[in-house]
Amino acid sequence: MTLEDWYRQDRLPHIYCAGCGNGTILNATLRAVDALGYDINETTFVSGIGCSSRAGGYTSADSLHTTHGRALAFATGVKLVKPKQHVIVFTGDGDCSAIGGNHFIHACRRNIDLTVICMNNNIYGMTGGQGSPCTPKGSITTTTPYGMQEQPFDLCKLAEAAGANYVARWTSFHVKELTEAIRVGLETPGLAFIEVLAQCPTAYGNKNKLRQPTQMIEMFKNNAVKKAKADRDAAAGIPLEPGKFIVGEFVRRANPPMGVVKE
Amino acid sequence: MKLVINEHRCKGCNLCTMVCPYRIFQEGSKPGIRGYVIPVLDRPERCTNCRLQKVYGRQLCGMCQMICPDQAISWVEEKPFEPKKVEIEY
Repeated sequence: MTLEDWYRQDRLPHIYCAGCGNGTILNATLRAVDALGYDINETTFVSGIGCSSRAGGYTSADSLHTTHGRALAFATGVKLVKPKQHVIVFTGDGDCSAIGGNHFIHACRRNIDLTVICMNNNIYGMTGGQGSPCTPKGSITTTTPYGMQEQPFDLCKLAEAAGANYVARWTSFHVKELTEAIRVGLETPGLAFIEVLAQCPTAYGNKNKLRQPTQMIEMFKNNAVKKAKADRDAAAGIPLEPGKFIVGEFVRRANPPMGVVKE
Repeated sequence: MKLVINEHRCKGCNLCTMVCPYRIFQEGSKPGIRGYVIPVLDRPERCTNCRLQKVYGRQLCGMCQMICPDQAISWVEEKPFEPKKVEIEY
């Protein structure tokens, strides 16, 4: 089984816009799954509704395309009925944090053996660019034409507080690190949450002076601060500059998981 | 090994032009089969993976393939070396 076999060839090229980060994240996920040598019959991809959730349909393994925000609820069911199945959840920021917020925190609390990949593109891309709970403050969207006035969600802190076993954040520019994080997340018993910041040149970049996909990737490259450096700065009393964000591995712990088969 | 861009999949986002350490991918100017302006390859024989994959027995670099959102970049086996007639100008 090669890497190309994990893609569903008859569905490609996919429907994502030119330069959409979701395709990159799909590459990283399938590469991590391929590197671990999982059997195609023992892997299930579950996704909700949104741009990000189309990703499950482009894999040749079994995939569930479920109702809006309820991907984690369906994944819990799959995992508990078939505990040997490797369940990977693709979800977006609107799917995971807005409508599926309660499912998300309770999946973290139960610590079910899932790998959740949240493709955070800062906006509701598929429905026309409405502001989501992860839209950064001051960004212009269809529903916030004078700039977003609300504070965005920090999904990694939320997952950490709710009790997930592995929490990491990367961007679609850091592909090697992202692949490694997904591989570690798949091997970790318990819920692994990986937030990936993805570029959305069509709905988000168009209104925020980041029209070209390369501009948004450049923005990720310049604004990402590694966790080690952020910790050093915090110890020295230097606050994080506005507009920058921390990337890296936040939590790796061994809380008792649910849905793991005892040998 | 040879670097190829699948013209049926590429959507011309030019992300590969900014990640390649050798700047092999250059922004194109002519539309391809599907109407997207796809990047052109500038001396692709410089690519690390093309040259050294057989020697090391594993994938090297591969940033362009990883970041390509449309799964358009791949490496194909080349035919064995064929002698070519080269005209040398004195």
